[in-house]
Amino acid sequence: MTGEGVLGNGRECGEDAAAYALGALEPAEAEAFRRHLAGCAACQKQVAELEQVTGSLADSTVRYEVPKELRRRVLGEVRASPKARASRPARVRRPVVAWGGAVAAAAVIIAIVLVVALSGGGSSTRTIQASTGSAELRLEGGRADLIVHRLPALPAGRIYELWVQRGSATPTPTGTLFAVTSSGTAAVGVPGGVSGVSAVMVTREPAGGTPAPTTTPVIVARTT
Amino acid sequence: MLGSRGRSRPADLRALADEELMERVHDGEVRAFEVVFDRHATAAFSLAYRMSGRRAAAEDIVQEAFLSLWRSSRAYDPARGSVRSWVLSVVHNRAIDALRRQGARDRDVPDDGIAERLSSPDRTDAEAERRDDARRVRTALDELPPDQRRVIELAFFGGFTHTQIAEMLDLPPGTVKGRMRLGLTKMRTVLGEVSV
Repeated sequence: MTGEGVLGNGRECGEDAAAYALGALEPAEAEAFRRHLAGCAACQKQVAELEQVTGSLADSTVRYEVPKELRRRVLGEVRASPKARASRPARVRRPVVAWGGAVAAAAVIIAIVLVVALSGGGSSTRTIQASTGSAELRLEGGRADLIVHRLPALPAGRIYELWVQRGSATPTPTGTLFAVTSSGTAAVGVPGGVSGVSAVMVTREPAGGTPAPTTTPVIVARTT
Repeated sequence: MLGSRGRSRPADLRALADEELMERVHDGEVRAFEVVFDRHATAAFSLAYRMSGRRAAAEDIVQEAFLSLWRSSRAYDPARGSVRSWVLSVVHNRAIDALRRQGARDRDVPDDGIAERLSSPDRTDAEAERRDDARRVRTALDELPPDQRRVIELAFFGGFTHTQIAEMLDLPPGTVKGRMRLGLTKMRTVLGEVSV
């Protein structure tokens, strides 16, 4: 991990903080800076201060009326996809550090996934931190959500794609494509839940997605 | 005292803080989500429209952001900031993704629908206060030296990377980063003085 003082390639510590806060670093630079940030208190302080400004910028735009049709559409979708209710405390069924055998050895593995089964809903969770990322696969009733933190943003033309695997069959696409926020976070539902699914995977793919994985998974969450 | 979850009246829910509403959203309470939507959708749509310049694209971005909030409400961590800043952060990142996918060449196509500016946006004291804060932020941005303001606007609202901006303005990348840093730092100083 890069310490305080020098970021790499001769660049001074803190030089990238403003561009990072604006979301204007190139993906590789953003990832390098994110790694540096984890060990540099000075940059953490600077980024936190500058992100207050960018947060204010986001809330400073001239106001436009929210189209009524947009509100109707969003609320319609929400009503059509009810969530499991929390009726009792969460029960951790099977915490699994999910490294696939073959993929575990791959250098591209960047997240450790803790699978938490919440049979009755609830909010109990534990996340195992990894060197550059972490993730949770949350199971509530028949619903599954994958939540990732501190994953690197992808370059233009690339996107994360979500897959499910049944047994040892070839992973099938879920149709879910996602990007991460500037802090590397994303949350996606697993369409259809994980009934009969042995693993949920994420790969980096061309924008628009692919019918079969073209890269080694960066996340493998085993459900059994 | 509020009624049992799932049957709270909208008037009751509107009295709750965002963080309390998010607990209910997580429990699947649609009305709580509705209050969160009504509280922050205007800011979210305005940001998306400011960035995309297209009404349909802005609607898509906002729809995705709020559905993400509904489906994955657990991803919200109060320790990392307010619900509003989280929503706006999701909108900002999705708008950047959309802009970078469409590429610079396609950004000049005509709008596919003009959004309507709010005629009387201040329905509550909180909204009036936010509007005053927003005005102070815009003033702080407007008062930056033009070269600093330009790179900040291109990056934050235009979704361009610093290297794209450097090419556009025919400047060394280091100069662009330097202007970003100077501009944001100056804004922080100004806004800190007025406690935004």
